[in-house]
Amino acid sequence: MDQQGQNGLMKTYRQGYRSRGAMGYVAAIGLLAFYLILYFQDKLGVTWFDDIAAAMGLENRWYLYGFLYCVGMVFGGAYYLRHHGNSRYNRIRIAVNITVQVLLGFSLPFVMHLFGERDFYFSYIWPLKIEYLYPSDISQFPIYIIAYSALASLLAMPVLAYFFGKRWYCSWVCGCGGLANTFGDPWRHLTSTSTRSWKFEQVSVHSVMFLAVLTTAAVGLDFAIGNQYPTFHAFAGELRSWYGLVVGAILAGVVGVGFYPLFGPRVWCRNFCPMAAMLGLIQKLGRYRIRVKDDMCISCGNCTTYCEMGIDVRSYAQQNQSFTRASCVGCGMCAHVCPRGVLKLENTWSLNRDKHRQGLNVLDV
Amino acid sequence: MNIVIIGNGVAGVEAALTVRKREPDWNVTIISEESDHFFSRTALMWVVCGQMKHEDIEPYERDLYARLRFQRVRARAVGVDVTNKQVALSGEAAISYDRLLIACGSRPRPGPWPGSDLPGIGHFVTLQDLEWLEAELHGGPSVSRPPRPEEHLPRSSDDSPYRVRKTVLGERGGSAQAPAVVGGGLIGIEAVEVMVAAGLRPKFFIREEWFWPMAIEPREAKWITDRMASHGVEVLLEHDLKEFQGNGRVERIVTNQGEYPADLAVVAIGVVPNTSWLAQSSIELDARGGIVVDDQLTTSDPSVFAAGDCAAVGWFDGSRRPQQLWYTSRDQGRVAGRRLLGDTAEYRRGLWYNSAKLMDIEYTTAGLVNMNVEGEHNWFFEEQGRVRSTTRIVTRGAGTDKDPVIGFNLLGRRWDHAVLLQWIEERRALRWVLKNLRRASFDTEFVPPLSIPSSALAATEGANALEGPAPNPYIKGPTAYPYS
Repeated sequence: MDQQGQNGLMKTYRQGYRSRGAMGYVAAIGLLAFYLILYFQDKLGVTWFDDIAAAMGLENRWYLYGFLYCVGMVFGGAYYLRHHGNSRYNRIRIAVNITVQVLLGFSLPFVMHLFGERDFYFSYIWPLKIEYLYPSDISQFPIYIIAYSALASLLAMPVLAYFFGKRWYCSWVCGCGGLANTFGDPWRHLTSTSTRSWKFEQVSVHSVMFLAVLTTAAVGLDFAIGNQYPTFHAFAGELRSWYGLVVGAILAGVVGVGFYPLFGPRVWCRNFCPMAAMLGLIQKLGRYRIRVKDDMCISCGNCTTYCEMGIDVRSYAQQNQSFTRASCVGCGMCAHVCPRGVLKLENTWSLNRDKHRQGLNVLDV
Repeated sequence: MNIVIIGNGVAGVEAALTVRKREPDWNVTIISEESDHFFSRTALMWVVCGQMKHEDIEPYERDLYARLRFQRVRARAVGVDVTNKQVALSGEAAISYDRLLIACGSRPRPGPWPGSDLPGIGHFVTLQDLEWLEAELHGGPSVSRPPRPEEHLPRSSDDSPYRVRKTVLGERGGSAQAPAVVGGGLIGIEAVEVMVAAGLRPKFFIREEWFWPMAIEPREAKWITDRMASHGVEVLLEHDLKEFQGNGRVERIVTNQGEYPADLAVVAIGVVPNTSWLAQSSIELDARGGIVVDDQLTTSDPSVFAAGDCAAVGWFDGSRRPQQLWYTSRDQGRVAGRRLLGDTAEYRRGLWYNSAKLMDIEYTTAGLVNMNVEGEHNWFFEEQGRVRSTTRIVTRGAGTDKDPVIGFNLLGRRWDHAVLLQWIEERRALRWVLKNLRRASFDTEFVPPLSIPSSALAATEGANALEGPAPNPYIKGPTAYPYS
């Protein structure tokens, strides 16, 4: 049956592992340790994950990680569907996301590898997977993959975001978003909704986006003329490996997932992901919005509490203000938990002028 | 200018915000016995079960009062002296005002039955009720409490709705195991839901023949009652309470149909204006305790205004009584704010509308659906496919599909009440409304739209003939329509 809205009350804050209780800290420490060892095993002088992968007949630890990732997504998806699967939007969205990740994010690269090809993750595009526009990297792939990467990153990404908002990627396709909405769903209410956290997000996420563009440009320029300028060549190499370490490993991996049980599942997406920042800017100019029904909000705060991106949805709803926020990934949970059916995700056919494009502050006096 | 506001609820805070927007330098003082922070009273149920924590139901960040320089006084107001323009406080010096807003809200209607004051019996309206119920059901709050919960204790009194109730955890030997709710309305079903969420099987005592007769009719109520039963609720209809019994705490509930064990009872039989403290002042109250105000929310004293649940405001049908709704209180607060600023501003509510969620069933209503007046007809459709819903459209006239629509009562789907209200004002005929109903849909994406078979659309003949008014002995509303 298709129901709208949440089915039954949630006991979120009465479950210790979901409310920063002792089990929450244990889970966070476990996840942090897992990702630290995964990314930095060489520096730590251990080979545990490679050993397990070898025992399972996998070539290296990254295939093992892909396998564990899929397991986490499937079990997390079951958790998500058990709690929110009464809504058709939630069912379709999470099914598509899991399918995309299990097929394109794990199985296909694995099969490509078996056939002796370089593995390519079709579900990741620049600037999230920044290497996919590095000329030095992408040029080693067959021409159809080069074309796919360029078209997906430079054409499909902005066009789809204009018409459907950033949710087409962040909530339907992306691997980071997929893990956040399945395995990470028990902790979605832990994202901070304070104004301070919003200010931090605005600065940090756009800084990383700027860095991503700068790094891509430097690496591209280096590919073209680097052999004539050894200083620049060294700088570009430095920048590239620094970006890979800080953004790719520490922020996306260790911080992004390790802090799920303490700061919510979208720490990476909200504060650091260059792709999310870029999609967000397009979304603000585009046709996606959250529509607010007039004068029906009771300010209960379920929407704000369960927003995984820390948007104070209530501040708009109680002012009758339909809105588009750059950070909104369109997971639909605000509308799902609203007890009065006040909110609705939609792509409008015409650009609506009444759509509020700024944040609402209580009073600036 | 000294503005004093009694009440830290939605009407009071909206009024304070309205004043501050225009007058950065005026003194604004907010007096509250209940809470340091403005919170959403409609959201208490989600805090009890643990879906939200205390901070989550506060619509503004906690620095609001400091940032906007609202002075807060945590005290109980005990009287207003309009001659000297002072508000008397319990145990503290009186506060002087130039303009005063009374927005002190409602208090739960106490049970009229013997034993209603036994420990283990309470209400579900105030922040202190919330803390009491959290303790009785779960042993305490989930992860946070409102700040300074003990602050108001010395200033409270035994008859205050904000007093902290003693729990009977010790006498009972733990949290409640056999809870009961008395009163088949919205607060009643909320209390039932939090008990279900706590893993209990509550008894739900309802005096009437069906649940919530003020708003819904028997066919609609049956679906909700069945849903409650499927969650383990024992719904006891037509049970008139006689007495609460017990030795030092509630142990049994006696009704006209028998005796039932209960170790916790929430009495939810409505709210009344919280105005008994004004009895000695010269501010005029109506027979039901509502503060008499004109359309500009002015009380009998020209520098005192009233808004929210305590004010007897004008209704669409011409009567004057409190309107105990969140969004009407918010609107009244905004009008009262302009009155405090010295503006001319009127509070007028248009047609009735409301929404609710009953267990997991969404409910929207617009216009007049329960007038029970001769000449009223019901078009009713029950959808039983992938989506379950009921659609009841009320018309007025000869009983054909050319009659104008005057009300909608809708369960199971989401609707934009603004569109429905517009159709009522435009006097759209039933035939036109049925054809265009999808335009008022507010369903979530991918939900299959409501599709009405053509047999049900031909609404005036044979088996689909429009029905007369549903017999509803509980509605004592006007006997004629307020508009022609």
